[in-house]
Amino acid sequence: MHNRRNLYIGVILCAMVLLAALVSFFWTPYNVTELNIAEKFKSPGMPYLLGTDHFGRDILSMLMVGARMSIAVALIAVGIGILFGVPLGLFAAARANTLVEEVIMRGNDLVFAFPALLIAIMITAVFGPGAVNAIIAIGIFNIPVFARLSRAAALSLWQRDFVLSARVSGKSGLRISVEHILPNLLNLLLVQGTIQFSLGVLAEAALSYVGLGAQPPVPSWGRMLAESQTFFSIASHVVIFPGLAIVLTVLGLNLLGDGLRDYFDPRLRQSSWNSTS
Amino acid sequence: MPLLTVTDLKVAINGEPILRDIDLSVDSGKVLGIVGESGSGKSLTAYSIMRLLPAGSTASGRISFAGKSLFSLSEAAMCKVRGRDIGMIFQEPMTALNPLRTIGDQIAETIKIHTDANRDQVRRLLLDTLRRVELPPEQFPPSRYPHELSGGQRQRVVIAMAIALRPRLLIADEPTTALDVTTQAQILKLLRRLVDEDGLGLMLISHDLAVVANTADEIAVMKNGVVLDAGTPKRIFSGDSHPYATELLEASTHVPAIVSRAAEKSDVNGNGNAPLLEVKGLVREYKLPRDNIFARSKSFRAVDNVSFTLQHGENLGLVGESGCGKSTLTRAILGLEVLQGGSVRLNGQQVLFGERRGLAPRHSMQAVFQDPFGSFNPRHKVAKLIAEPLYAAPQKLNRIEQRSAVAQVIERVGLRSQDGEKYIHEFSGGQRQRIAIARALISRPALIILDEAVSALDVSVRAKVLDLLVELSAEFDIAYLFISHDLSVVRSVTERVLVMKNGRIVEQGMTGTVFNSPQHPYTAELVNSVPVLGYSVR
Amino acid sequence: MIRFIARRVVSLALTLVVASAIIFLALEVVPGDPASIMLGVNAQPDTIAALKEELGLNVSRPARYFNWVAGMLHGDFGISYTYRTPVRDMIADRILISLPLAVYALLLSTAIAFPAGILAATRRGAVADVSIMGSTQLGIAIPNFWFAIILVAVFAIKLQWFPAGGFPGWQDGFIGGIKALTLPAVALALPQASILARVMRSSLLDTLGEDYIRTARAKGLTTRQSLWRHALRNALIPVLTIIGLQFSFLLAGAIIVENVFYLPGLGRLIFQGITQRDLIVVESVVMLLVFAVVMVTFIVDVAYAAVDPRLRKR
Repeated sequence: MHNRRNLYIGVILCAMVLLAALVSFFWTPYNVTELNIAEKFKSPGMPYLLGTDHFGRDILSMLMVGARMSIAVALIAVGIGILFGVPLGLFAAARANTLVEEVIMRGNDLVFAFPALLIAIMITAVFGPGAVNAIIAIGIFNIPVFARLSRAAALSLWQRDFVLSARVSGKSGLRISVEHILPNLLNLLLVQGTIQFSLGVLAEAALSYVGLGAQPPVPSWGRMLAESQTFFSIASHVVIFPGLAIVLTVLGLNLLGDGLRDYFDPRLRQSSWNSTS
Repeated sequence: MPLLTVTDLKVAINGEPILRDIDLSVDSGKVLGIVGESGSGKSLTAYSIMRLLPAGSTASGRISFAGKSLFSLSEAAMCKVRGRDIGMIFQEPMTALNPLRTIGDQIAETIKIHTDANRDQVRRLLLDTLRRVELPPEQFPPSRYPHELSGGQRQRVVIAMAIALRPRLLIADEPTTALDVTTQAQILKLLRRLVDEDGLGLMLISHDLAVVANTADEIAVMKNGVVLDAGTPKRIFSGDSHPYATELLEASTHVPAIVSRAAEKSDVNGNGNAPLLEVKGLVREYKLPRDNIFARSKSFRAVDNVSFTLQHGENLGLVGESGCGKSTLTRAILGLEVLQGGSVRLNGQQVLFGERRGLAPRHSMQAVFQDPFGSFNPRHKVAKLIAEPLYAAPQKLNRIEQRSAVAQVIERVGLRSQDGEKYIHEFSGGQRQRIAIARALISRPALIILDEAVSALDVSVRAKVLDLLVELSAEFDIAYLFISHDLSVVRSVTERVLVMKNGRIVEQGMTGTVFNSPQHPYTAELVNSVPVLGYSVR
Repeated sequence: MIRFIARRVVSLALTLVVASAIIFLALEVVPGDPASIMLGVNAQPDTIAALKEELGLNVSRPARYFNWVAGMLHGDFGISYTYRTPVRDMIADRILISLPLAVYALLLSTAIAFPAGILAATRRGAVADVSIMGSTQLGIAIPNFWFAIILVAVFAIKLQWFPAGGFPGWQDGFIGGIKALTLPAVALALPQASILARVMRSSLLDTLGEDYIRTARAKGLTTRQSLWRHALRNALIPVLTIIGLQFSFLLAGAIIVENVFYLPGLGRLIFQGITQRDLIVVESVVMLLVFAVVMVTFIVDVAYAAVDPRLRKR
């Protein structure tokens, strides 16, 4: 089916990246911390499948280990966003038209006034660069994204008659949020989570590219690019492959998100009006 | 020779046949009514004539309009026919207009794309058209935006766009379904006037037999993509027509047998006339946004000093048009609104707003809402949904007791107990309303509030659900507060009725008396606006 | 309309106040005192005190905050700890690169996205749609700094059409400046154009499914006429939001891309500030960028009201 194509390609790409990251814990073709200047700038082929960099390190091995960093940073950052953002959004919706809602939403607007990179820069300026600070910066930026999304969706769910029925039964706003609103948000959160995950991978790459992310010797895709960009004319593969790794990961996540959205689309699944009793 | 003749029309969407062998004709100066329940294909027939079918559809057959075969016209030529020779109006006036452009601009567009009229001529024709649809330009200048108009006024704008160039045929697809009954009467009168004055042919599509019966010169009855019968209203309603037409008529005029128990009940109880529900001086105000920070904040009274009582086992109706405050009143009775005055008592106990307080009266009061699709959380199984009111039960049931209680009510409303394991999307609209009734029933309430509970259902389904409600009322000694905009339904099931307008109860009394000799002018207007089926199978 | 704008102005001012407090407090917690850092470990206490006085550091924390804010309102951003020159002058030079870059990129992205989005929506499911959607999918996934490196390799080093980096300065002619900004702008615009094209397409598809489009068709408008006269303006509303959001992404993204091209813009200034612990520079540039983002949001809100008559009343 045409609609599933995105989903399948997305799943395959994401699975590949995940697998590479997991395997790297047990095995990589070469040791990524060992420098071997004699083997520098080897072209892709055998024995180095994707070639070597200016220190003679195997690029494939570095990409596999770097995938861990990308996944970890983006995943934890999405986790922070969901963990704080969703309860805030649900709470704002349950207390619609009150001061509480106003404060939460204005707080969100405030965070939006700082692009993720600025938050990262400020955190770095204060605490110094590092993977943890990158996670915090991207995570903070994710909070208002999820808060807004879940508030908007929850507000429309609060208008539905099933919430009215639950209120007639005497259930509290908190209980309704957990029992009735949250289960109906899961699809939406999964789709948005995938998209934020992909943005997180891009942001992590950008931060480590400018030196604000993971510090040496931990390999990360962004820093591989930063270190190798001057060698483009000598050995283009040192720039091409880390970039491709980022592109394929982000592409896979986006296709997965789109595919999930199509899959969950209520317009495609809703049963039609038939009124036989 | 008829103005429009449809012969052998067949339409398939993605290969699936939807319309089969439709034959219809419309004469100039005459109204053809098309009736049928949802899914009968009546709207699709209209779109076939306009050649505005959804993507993926294929149509065959012949449609001849004023001697031209519409199917053989090029798309460009068809564009010249639409709006100039054939106009069309739609069901939902709230969304049928472009919100970003003025009404004058949108009406004038019809004129500009079909004629070479200069600015003055366009302006003159525009003002003239506004007058023809009874929107005097002095009150409704063309510079208004759609959101500044009411639903009925917007529908007039849509009609103005359709008739500006005096087309010979007008197709109206459920033109009054989204409107209040008094507005409906005015729009129908306007349409009839245009037919009589301009001699245009009108194709009037509706699910409401009464609407069509009062306006049409000929009626076609459709079901499942087929025209079952067509002829004059007289013949269609004579009983000498297709059995389905008779069935539809029976369902539309269905009156469930009511056993009035209000009187006997109060005797049995022996506690005099202590009412089940007592609403006293109820006031609900909403604050409106202030015009500026210095202005005093204004408020809007949605419910204004409403008092009434409801006896044990009584069926009380509450009628009123949209915006009259009946939904707010419903929520107030259920304890879901903060009151600015007055009180609600159920069995003598006050119903309080707030989540923790007063669970006891809530337990003996349940509600069924209008929308059979929105009333259920799609993520939970039906059994869990039905058990929800047990949350407020004074004594918690254990798992086994709960399961048997759920099974019992599911079976009582005419479904199978296994249905509890399914999700709500597996049920039809009528079945969902039965499940909603089961949910209301499980706490053995003394009162069920039915808020437009049958309004979204097709007539045949509606008749069966009404029968069920009446049976349950007798069996479990339940009182109903039956809230509806549909006077004929209220008339058929209630003993006493309240009429509400602008937040106030303007009239109350025995249903028959109120409807037969209304005292308040508004009630009279309301009653007179209801299209009546003058034909009866009996 | 006036009420609407007045309310927006109040919320804009509040946001700026809170944001400035956050920025100030965040950088206040940094350990160490700028004066001692600037003068090194061997400095005399009285020299440090004198420098503190010069930098306005010898007063209480709240007083320093108010001096900072009051200074900014006059266009005085304080004195750089490292260079001892007014931060204002440093920013003024850099903004003449960063702002044109962001605007250039935004124009490029809009110029690509609008036709692409409209074409894809009107040819839904056809080859044009599928290929446009496929390219945008790829465009979103490409990190702009990587794209920038490749652009340099191809168009600057190999083909030599554009300079590989640096900025000649506007005084040497407009063309030279634009040439230097072209590759960075393209690198910035590509992902944004992809996002915008997708939003444009889906917004237009939603609008084309609205009831009033059906009404327009029933009036006798052709598909094309109903698209141009009725769908496009309505579809623009969500697109406007995205354009507003993109401006802040472009400003932030510029920080990174400026690094690839060695452009002396605000981004380079921030990094310089961080490495030299010149916190007043970081503080001021961050505040300036936040101000820009908040201003753009405000302009978008007002633009909304101009497009949509339903909002004017509120």
